[in-house]
Amino acid sequence: MTGWHVDDDALRRWIDRTDSLSDGASVEQHLLSCDRCRATVNATVTAGPVAGLVDLTTVWSRTRDAIELPRPSAFERLLRRAGLPEHEARLVAVASAFRGAWLTGVAVVLAFAAVAGALGHSRGAVVFLLVAPLVPCLTVASSYDPEVDPALEPELVTPYPALRLILLRTITVLAVALPAEVLAGLLIPGQARYLWLLPAVGFVAAVLALSTWTSPLRAAVAVSLAWLAAVWLLMARSGSPDAALHDWFQLGYLLLAAASLAIFLIRRGHLRELRPRRS
Amino acid sequence: MSTSISLRGVGRRFGSAWALADVDLDLAPGVTGLLGPNGAGKTTLLRLFATALSPTEGTVSVLGLDPAEPAERTGIRRRLGYLPQEIGFPRGFSAFAFVDYVALLKEWTQPAARHAEVRRVLDLTGLSGIAAKKIRTLSGGQRRRVALAQALLGPPAVLILDEPTTGLDPEQRATLRTVLAELARTSVVVLSTHQTEDVAALCERVIVLDSGRVRYDGLVTELTGQAAGRVWLADEPDPAASVSWRTGTGRYRNVAEHARTGVEHVEPSLEDAYLLLRGGRPAQADGQAEQAARSREVLS
Repeated sequence: MTGWHVDDDALRRWIDRTDSLSDGASVEQHLLSCDRCRATVNATVTAGPVAGLVDLTTVWSRTRDAIELPRPSAFERLLRRAGLPEHEARLVAVASAFRGAWLTGVAVVLAFAAVAGALGHSRGAVVFLLVAPLVPCLTVASSYDPEVDPALEPELVTPYPALRLILLRTITVLAVALPAEVLAGLLIPGQARYLWLLPAVGFVAAVLALSTWTSPLRAAVAVSLAWLAAVWLLMARSGSPDAALHDWFQLGYLLLAAASLAIFLIRRGHLRELRPRRS
Repeated sequence: MSTSISLRGVGRRFGSAWALADVDLDLAPGVTGLLGPNGAGKTTLLRLFATALSPTEGTVSVLGLDPAEPAERTGIRRRLGYLPQEIGFPRGFSAFAFVDYVALLKEWTQPAARHAEVRRVLDLTGLSGIAAKKIRTLSGGQRRRVALAQALLGPPAVLILDEPTTGLDPEQRATLRTVLAELARTSVVVLSTHQTEDVAALCERVIVLDSGRVRYDGLVTELTGQAAGRVWLADEPDPAASVSWRTGTGRYRNVAEHARTGVEHVEPSLEDAYLLLRGGRPAQADGQAEQAARSREVLS
C-alpha cells in the first residue's frame, strides 16, 4: 500500500489506453501495489464500456461473420445498387434456378438473333418472331417454378408473400431479359424488331395467371406451343411471317395481358401450392 | 391445457383416393408421435398441420387460426417450423447460407438479429463447426440436421417434423431429443417416424394412423400397457404367437394377440404394442412391421 493514489483522470486515460507509454508504465507499476486504485479500475471497467478494451464477444462475432456469411454475388450487389433492400436482393438473387433461367434466356435470345441475322430478311424474321415473345415467359416461369425448386416445401410454409416473391423475380428477370432482347432485335429488319414486345408481355401475364392452376413451367410450355401453332397457321394462310403481329392481334395481346393479370391477382392465394402428390 | 391444433372431420383426397378420412384431433403443447405404415397418411396429415396442404373436407385450426384464410395462414406460418420428409438444397449453398435464406423468408429482415438466430439453430443442431461448408460436401446426417435447423428458427410455437431422425447417428438422435423436449415445454411438436424407440423415448402421446384413419390416439404408456402379458421369451418360436423373432441372446421373443400364461413374460415395448395394434401380422403388404421384424432378425 502506498501513501498516494493515481487521480481519476489519469486512471481513465490508462484504462482507455490514451496515456503516454511512460505515464502508462508508471500507473501500471503503482497499480501492482495499490488495492484502492485497483478497485477504482475494476469499478470503472465494470460500470460500462471502455474504449480500447477488447470486446471478445464482438471480435468472435465478426470472425464468424467473416467465415460464415455468404458473400453476395455480383448480381446481388447489382440489385442492391439498383435500390433493392438487402433482404430482397438476397431473395431474388439466391435461387440458383433463377440465375440459370435468366442467363439461359439471354443466351437463347442472343443465339437466335444471331441465327436470324445470318439467315437474312424473311427467314430471319420468322425465326426471331417465333422465339422472341417466348423467352420472357419461359425465363419468368423458370425463376419461380416449384418443380425446379428443391427446397419448395420449407419455403412454401414461410410467411413471406408468394405474390411478392414471384413478382420480384418476374420484374428482375424482365429487367435483364427484355433490354437484351431489344438490343438483339435491332439485328432484325422490319417491324418485327419491336412488335414482339406486346405478345411477350401478354404471354408473361398468361403464364402468371395459369400458374395459379398448374406449374409455371407447364404453363409456359403450353403458351409456347399455342404461339408456335398460331404463327404457323397464320403464316400458312397469309404467307406473311409477321401476320401474328398485325394491329388487331396486338390489341388481343393487350387484352390477354390485362385479363391474365386480373386473374393472377384474384387467384393469388393459389400460387406456389403444393401440387397434390399422394404421401 | 390449451389446444393448439384442432382437426374436425378432416379428409384429404388425391384424385379418387382418400389419403385421410374422418380425422378428429386436438393437440396441445408437448411432443406427439405419429406412427403408421408407409402410405398410412402420416405425411399428408403433417402437411395439413403445416399449412402446406388444405383439406378436401373438414376444418383445421392451428394456434386458433384458420389456415384457409390467407391472413390467418400467414399468422400461422410466422410461428411454424416444418421439416419435410424430403428436402433438397439449392446448388452452391453452405449450411449457413441455406438457413439464412429460410430465415429471410421467415421475415428476419434485420441482418444482425437474423445471423444471431441462424447461429443459434446451427449451434442447437451441432452444425456450428461446419456452417461455412457447402451442403453438397456434407454427410446425409449433417444435411438432415441443416434441414432441421431451418425448422427450429423462431423458435416456433408449432414444430412439424417428418421423420427427423432419418440418417442421424445415436448421439445425434439423443441431442435431437434434448432439443425437442426443451422446445415442447411451450410448443406443439409433432413428429412422424418409423422408429418406435424415438416415440417411446420422447413422446407423451402417440397417434397411430392406418389407411388414412386414426387407429389409436392416446398415451404411449397406455399403448405399451396393452401388450402386457402378451410378450414372452422362449427357446423356440411359439406357434401361438402372432410374431416371433430370435433375439441377441439366442432366445425367441414372442408377441401374441391374446394373453398367455405359464410362460416367461417380459416387459413389452412400444414396438410390441404397435405390432399388436397392427394385427400382429408383420408380413402385411405395407411392409413396415415386416421390416422391423426382419431387422431384428438380422441384428440377432
